[in-house]
Amino acid sequence: MHSSLFDSLSIILKRDLMIAFRRSSTYITPLIFFLIVVTFFPLALGPQESLLSSLAPGVIWIAALLASLLAVETIFSEDFRDGTLDDFFISLEPSFILVFAKVMIHWLITGLPILVASSIAAIILYLPLDSFIPMLLSLLLGTSFMSLLGALGAALALGKSAILSAIIVLPFSVPTLLMGTSVITSSLNNQDFSGFLMIMGAMLALGIPGLCLLTVEALLLNYE
Amino acid sequence: MLPNLKVENLSCVRSDKAIFDEVSFDVLPGQNIEIIGSNGSGKTTLLRTLLGLITQDKGEIVWLDDAGKYHNYRTFECLYQGHQLGIKNLLTVFENLNITKHAKGMSQEDIYKHLERVGLSNVNEFASNISVGQRKRIAMAKWLLKEFKIYFIDEPFSALDDTATLLIEKLIKELNAKGCSFVITGHRPSGIEATRVEI
Amino acid sequence: MIKKWLIEMGSPPLFYKWSTKILPWLFISAILILGIGLFWGLLFAPTDYKQGDVYRILYIHVPSAILGQSIFMFMAFCGFINVIWRAKISGMMLKSAAPIGVSFTLLALVTGSIWGKPTWGTWWVWDARLTSTLILFFIYAALIGLHSTIDDKTKADRAVSILSIVGLAIIPVIKKSVDWWQTLHQPSTFTITSSPSMSPDMYQPLLLCLIGFYLFFALLLTLNLRNEILERERTKNWVKQLLGGVG
Repeated sequence: MHSSLFDSLSIILKRDLMIAFRRSSTYITPLIFFLIVVTFFPLALGPQESLLSSLAPGVIWIAALLASLLAVETIFSEDFRDGTLDDFFISLEPSFILVFAKVMIHWLITGLPILVASSIAAIILYLPLDSFIPMLLSLLLGTSFMSLLGALGAALALGKSAILSAIIVLPFSVPTLLMGTSVITSSLNNQDFSGFLMIMGAMLALGIPGLCLLTVEALLLNYE
Repeated sequence: MLPNLKVENLSCVRSDKAIFDEVSFDVLPGQNIEIIGSNGSGKTTLLRTLLGLITQDKGEIVWLDDAGKYHNYRTFECLYQGHQLGIKNLLTVFENLNITKHAKGMSQEDIYKHLERVGLSNVNEFASNISVGQRKRIAMAKWLLKEFKIYFIDEPFSALDDTATLLIEKLIKELNAKGCSFVITGHRPSGIEATRVEI
Repeated sequence: MIKKWLIEMGSPPLFYKWSTKILPWLFISAILILGIGLFWGLLFAPTDYKQGDVYRILYIHVPSAILGQSIFMFMAFCGFINVIWRAKISGMMLKSAAPIGVSFTLLALVTGSIWGKPTWGTWWVWDARLTSTLILFFIYAALIGLHSTIDDKTKADRAVSILSIVGLAIIPVIKKSVDWWQTLHQPSTFTITSSPSMSPDMYQPLLLCLIGFYLFFALLLTLNLRNEILERERTKNWVKQLLGGVG
């Protein structure tokens, strides 16, 4: 049983990553979008170092949130259109493994590139080097949670306008935004930030089972 | 002979309209069921209900095997092929067959053999470049990966030329001989030997 | 068993009939209690020694803010029942409650802003309560927006139910994180609604207003729900009979 679960998971991962690599826009688009948004802030606000470094946590986090929700509707839309989703629902048990795999893939092709690009963003926004690790940690936890939340939005708005799936989950991303920026801001002020990271971790830990189950429920709605 | 699947008085209502009403049939090993109905008569919904994608409003679906009774299809080895065939455009013909749960542990030669059996020779072509009829053939090759107990195929005969139609009929007969059953849908009775259920 | 009970009790015709009976009582009690509470609070309650008469907006602001949250909890409760037992009526309740909830939340924001002008000198302050109310407003907007994009109403109900459950789980986190966020950015200023000690003369009308607002919500919900039932069941015989064969 366990091995078959692992097999199913690895098949979905292998297949979707293969497809993602053959269509490079899937992982390049969020990356470029993130960097462009970050670049626009100095252009709009002026290049003063003190201003930019104090705004950096917020700018990086807003750009990361938007970039991670940019392509969120593609998580299920193609599989739904070509019938692969039916296949998975029928041959896979439990179904939330499918959702979990899809979330992982989405994170690998959006969250991970954002994580890499955030270092560049931190440099051009003059974020002190000491804050790099807290920034990466907060983005790691936060973008994972956004992928989970995004999957639910994608499932609920399957087949509707692409932007809808992002908009309906944006209000729910407020805690992630606040915690994420608090982590970086606290590290800038030499304050303890581990508490915020723990809460983000707890949200992720509860979100994985909870949101995956609700996403299954939302996906099944599309078959009725 | 005991049936593998018993469907009793199955009904489905959506927006206060019966999509199908009081459908009953038994799927016996090695025998086929053909569900006949016009467009929009709920054939696809019926298949999806059988496979648990939709919850029925009334009636029972019971799966039986030597070990006992189940209310869940997942303990059974079933294959479902919907209108959309579940074929990925960015994978080659070979990969579309190879990267599936049922092809695990299968050698490359075996997969080539299955593809040849359904008349596909362009194995390294991307699925986006091949015709609808050939896509159907990829889906058919999936039937051969394993001997599934029951095959649920939504409109297998649509958009096919004569040779492909003959091929399907032959494949179904062969698999029937091995004890596999087919539940298929269509607009009008096809050439295969089956119990017809009209909805 | 619960499902059976829910389906029987929640059958739309039965609910419609039942609501016709309680509607007049609901109407009278809501108007009466809300009227007395507002009159008492706005005209007769003592003037605040610090804020003057401006504080009286509290008799609208506080109940509507509380209602905004309560209605959301009510919606999530309906959503939960709808997801688990697929009771149709709970989906309709959820749908009918949403516009009322968003209106109360908006009222809380507007009155808060009007109150803020004389007290803080600006129309908007990033006060923790106001901020989380604003986010609640966005969540309502997301729910309503999602419902309107799905054409099949039963499906739309279930989709919104799922989202409302997420909302219920995340709203406490939002409130808490907004609190922390505020202490991180601006060491706490005084909050208007928790004045140190409210005299009973001020407190009693507030309580009455709150009860009145709840009754008013129940009244609006029943009216909305009756419309929703009629609209969705318009092809059914009992509706045709009720409307004298016009529909």
